[in-house]
Amino acid sequence: MSVLQAQDVTKDFYEGAGTLSVLKGISLSIERGEIVSLEGPSGSGKTTLLSILGCILTASSGAVVVEDQKVDCESSGSLAAIRRKSIGFVFQQYNLLPALTAMENVEYALNIKGQRGETARREAERALYEVGLADKTMTLPRDLSGGQKQRVAIARALAGQSPILLVDEPTANLDSQTGQQILDLFKQLARQENRAMLIVTHDQKVSEIADRVLTIRDGRLVN
Amino acid sequence: MVDLARKILFYDKLRFLITVGGVGFAVMLVLVQTGLFLGLMGNASATIDHIDADVWVAAKNTPNIDFARTFSDTLVNRVRAIDGVERADNLIVWFMRMALPTGAQEGIEVYAMERFGKWNLPWTISEGNVADLRRGRYLMLDDSATGRCGVFHIGDYREFVGRRVKITGRSRDALSFTTTPIAFMDLRLCQSLTPELDGQTSYIVVKLRPGVDAHRIAAEIRDRLPYVDVHTRDEWSYMSRNYWITNTGLGLNLFMTIFLGCLIAVMVVAQTLYTSTMDHIKEFGTIKAIGGGNGRIYLILAKQAIIAGICGFMIGAALTLLLKPVMAKANLNLVVIGNLWALTLAGTLAFCLTAALICFRKVSKIDPAMVFRG
Repeated sequence: MSVLQAQDVTKDFYEGAGTLSVLKGISLSIERGEIVSLEGPSGSGKTTLLSILGCILTASSGAVVVEDQKVDCESSGSLAAIRRKSIGFVFQQYNLLPALTAMENVEYALNIKGQRGETARREAERALYEVGLADKTMTLPRDLSGGQKQRVAIARALAGQSPILLVDEPTANLDSQTGQQILDLFKQLARQENRAMLIVTHDQKVSEIADRVLTIRDGRLVN
Repeated sequence: MVDLARKILFYDKLRFLITVGGVGFAVMLVLVQTGLFLGLMGNASATIDHIDADVWVAAKNTPNIDFARTFSDTLVNRVRAIDGVERADNLIVWFMRMALPTGAQEGIEVYAMERFGKWNLPWTISEGNVADLRRGRYLMLDDSATGRCGVFHIGDYREFVGRRVKITGRSRDALSFTTTPIAFMDLRLCQSLTPELDGQTSYIVVKLRPGVDAHRIAAEIRDRLPYVDVHTRDEWSYMSRNYWITNTGLGLNLFMTIFLGCLIAVMVVAQTLYTSTMDHIKEFGTIKAIGGGNGRIYLILAKQAIIAGICGFMIGAALTLLLKPVMAKANLNLVVIGNLWALTLAGTLAFCLTAALICFRKVSKIDPAMVFRG
């Protein structure tokens, strides 16, 4: 069953008198438990598509459907509400809050999603356990390795049971061995937790764990 | 719930210390300046506020209690004759030169009257009996004179215009705005020491019967004695304080100091919060990307401003309390009353929150899509 759909999505940016069309009619669908890899050269529109699917940017035309609900692009409040409820993000630069421990980073994301107190703490512990960081809960990001930071970022995205995980270049800042461990983790989690996962990447190894590989070029999907 | 505001604030300890140090300095500046102002204003009207008189009669155009002028001391009888007056007495306030044992001379502000005890003057006596002043060439000197006139003891003699006067008592807390030490002596002795005061007085102090309206009696005295000024206690107290505020630039000075203190507090907090916001802009972008709204980030900034304000206030208050005894040694009365504490705390928090507002605009412009940029 499809949990995330793009229907003929376009995105234009206005630069002075001209218009730059970054996305030219993208349609796709991702189901629960499915890992989809989105590949393409720099400037092809990968990140723009990821931002629109993640309800951070809005499409110029077309529609995004999240859990059978068409996204209301007019209200920034409703976009934020969809992000809180349905979408977990894993960023290339991890984007952890440096003043918070691993546990607090995950717990704070849960607080934003509306979970409080002991419930949030237990859920944060569970997520960190799932990514193999049960012994690093009280560690600040500065004391974690790149792979460990990425695991915390994954735990943050997993916590709260969002059905969709959007992942941006997860292996770009990791050595090959750590990168492979992270990909194995994604594969395991997508199956185990029945999440839909869209991974934007340049890394060919991602296609090895993906159920489908989409390639974007000049704003269009080519396969 | 994770307290991100506090965590971010304490994460960079040096920046936090600089912020609260700046706010603390500003708070101390405001508290000390206002406290000194209140102390000086208290001194400016201390005797008026303590003497048990409801109405004051002064020579025409006398601007404040210290800069007294003279009129005939017989007018007191016409005041005593007014219905509703319980008692009225002459009071001389006069600057005199007192010779010290070293041979030097020091200016003294003398309060002279016949029945000090009836008028609660001086209001705090540490040694001696005020009734003794009528029994000879005796003097009661305030403890604050020690700084200018040196150490003195009961039984010591001092000279006024070449005539010896014996110290028979010590008062406390009798201070004037001019910081000139205050002494108390009998009215007749004071008149005899100063020929120009012969048959003259500076003031007539009037005590009314219970329930009698001071304004009505003041108006009646004005009718009977048109060549003097007549004030109720509150009017005269206000006039004496206001003279120094308007004629010395003290009011403007206080306003400028408080303004600068507030400005420093706002600048320090605004600058710190702004640089902190800029440093954490990617984190705030992340919060927005994962579903947090502007309101959540505004709350973080507001809470940080309040924490900085409270910590800064505590530091400023502690420094002010430490300075209080140091200033007292220099005969400077630092008056920090409950209302001033509360008002300064409220002002500090208001200004810190104002400073936080500057960052709100920046935060509202943060594009959550920035999280996908490297």
